[in-house]
Amino acid sequence: MSDALLEIRDLHIGIARRHGDDEIVRGVNISVAPGEKLGIVGESGSGKTLTMLAVLRLLASPPLSVLRGEILLDGEDLAHVDDKRLREVRGGEIAMVYQDPMSSLNPLVRVGRQIEETLRSHGAASESAQARTREVLRQVGLADPERVRLSYPHQLSGGMIQRVMIAMALATSPRVLIADEPTTALDVTIQRQILELVTSLQATTGMAVLWVTHDLGVVASLVDNVAVMYAGRVVEKATTSQLFRRPTHPYTKALLQSLPGLGSAHRSPLHQIGGTPPDPTRLGAGCPFRVRCPYAEEKCAQAEPELIDRGEGSLAACWKDPSQW
Amino acid sequence: MVDLALSASHLTKVYGGQRGETRVNALNDVSLDLERGTTFGIVGESGCGKSTLARLLVGLEAPTSGELRIDGETIVTSERSASRQLARKIQLVFQDPFSSLDPRMTVEKALLEVLKVHALHADTRAERVAELLSMVGLTPRFAARYPHELSGGQAQRVAIARALAIEPEILVLDEPTSALDVSVRAEIINLLVRIQDELKLTYLFISHDLSMVRHISEDIAVMYLGKVVEKGRYDQVFVTPLHPYTQALEDAIPLPDPEHERSRQSAGVSMHVQVEQVAQGCPYAPRCALVQQRCRDAAPVLSEKSDGHLVSCFVAMDATP
Repeated sequence: MSDALLEIRDLHIGIARRHGDDEIVRGVNISVAPGEKLGIVGESGSGKTLTMLAVLRLLASPPLSVLRGEILLDGEDLAHVDDKRLREVRGGEIAMVYQDPMSSLNPLVRVGRQIEETLRSHGAASESAQARTREVLRQVGLADPERVRLSYPHQLSGGMIQRVMIAMALATSPRVLIADEPTTALDVTIQRQILELVTSLQATTGMAVLWVTHDLGVVASLVDNVAVMYAGRVVEKATTSQLFRRPTHPYTKALLQSLPGLGSAHRSPLHQIGGTPPDPTRLGAGCPFRVRCPYAEEKCAQAEPELIDRGEGSLAACWKDPSQW
Repeated sequence: MVDLALSASHLTKVYGGQRGETRVNALNDVSLDLERGTTFGIVGESGCGKSTLARLLVGLEAPTSGELRIDGETIVTSERSASRQLARKIQLVFQDPFSSLDPRMTVEKALLEVLKVHALHADTRAERVAELLSMVGLTPRFAARYPHELSGGQAQRVAIARALAIEPEILVLDEPTSALDVSVRAEIINLLVRIQDELKLTYLFISHDLSMVRHISEDIAVMYLGKVVEKGRYDQVFVTPLHPYTQALEDAIPLPDPEHERSRQSAGVSMHVQVEQVAQGCPYAPRCALVQQRCRDAAPVLSEKSDGHLVSCFVAMDATP
């Protein structure tokens, strides 16, 4: 796609072992266009967080390293830019909100100053940095932004801290926002408000959003398109409505079935996927989902499928067409 | 007569207040009855007091005031001996199984330790360990594993087995599935339902995940800033929610259905996060869309609106059904 703002091409990430590198992200292709909201869904160990960290060259190296692949921001390969340019991109053009907000803030510095520091390091004068900090703290729905600005992290609740992190990410008006499970700790009413806030900001700025989550409900309410990850690969790509109406990978289908729906009977057994997610360093040949898959056949043990077009914009890494399930 | 496994009346917990510290009413006059063999669900956002409630019920902390009765017996939670006496009857399962298991103890050792502390099954401990593991759906080979060799779901199963080791009557489950992957949540919920039926256990199920609470609970209480604002049977609370906060929570549940999702209207309620308790009036008033002057003047009390369905809201009480 030529209109991609951020494009991850054939990304492979390895973890160093005594016998060499084990691949734990195995050829991920993901791209987002300006104004697009892309959900990245996967369980722990699926490689979703590592993929996002690799975008900003934040992988803990060693033992982790990018084995090959390209990260293109408007065509510029971030793997080969110098440190000065990388600092401009990080927190400037691409901002990231992390899973654990408490550990991403300095406990000894007032939160307002931490946001101002981010702005100043991206070239803002200190007065305008302060005004902008007030503005973004108000935007994320904090009732008393002035009090929050002057607070230390420990004086704020988890929900407030998470809003502060989102404010910090939005302060520099990034072109790409990467949010890694930023709302898991929040009450549903606040989650919803943050999702709506991000959507409204997007409408005015054309920011692209990568929303990493394991919660399909969040995906349904926020994003346009979804990439489902399993064992270090993207196993399904679809528009959000297609994904829910007609999942084309058995894993996606199983995930959807395991949620208690509004129609499911009280205390009736929920659908279980069975088994556990595989250890990405010990995959062997064949499709990594086959051991948990109700539709697995011989072919699935022999070769791992690439993404196959299943119509209406859905791609799935599965040998079987959903009509044969 | 309803057979009550646990009855808490007017539990209040106040933190701070000494030497000019701010007083925080973490729990404010909470009463609830757990009918034996059923599940009581507690819903609320972080900071609503649901974890404080859990800690009071299992005796990790003493209430500032209020009374706790288990099996009809009053528990004096300020007494030291109360904790072991309580432990035999009521156990707590935490959100994060890894932080509640000792990383240097194998599964077997962790389970044996509990049996030793409570002097149970002196001659048949090894068999009991195997039995506990099978109860939570783990094969005997898991006995030799350390916590880091377990997946999240397996570790939570071990934590549940450990809680069951001393044959309690009540399990307090504080967000037992929130730290788990989506694909294993259903397994743990199914496991909890099965064990409950087999052992006739009583559950207090605490979660911010409304769809899970609705799925598993017979009775539900919705908490807001330390108070119960609505209480009733699960179908009452979910089909005909009375309190504006419960309604807002339900409107906000992200549904796994984009069609439905897009057709929904935003509740139009102020979602500003609120951490400070109001000096007077209804605690929810600053966020409420239906707020009236009387809500700011005085706090409503939890009152019965219809058969067993209680709400703490002036507006809901006045509304004709």
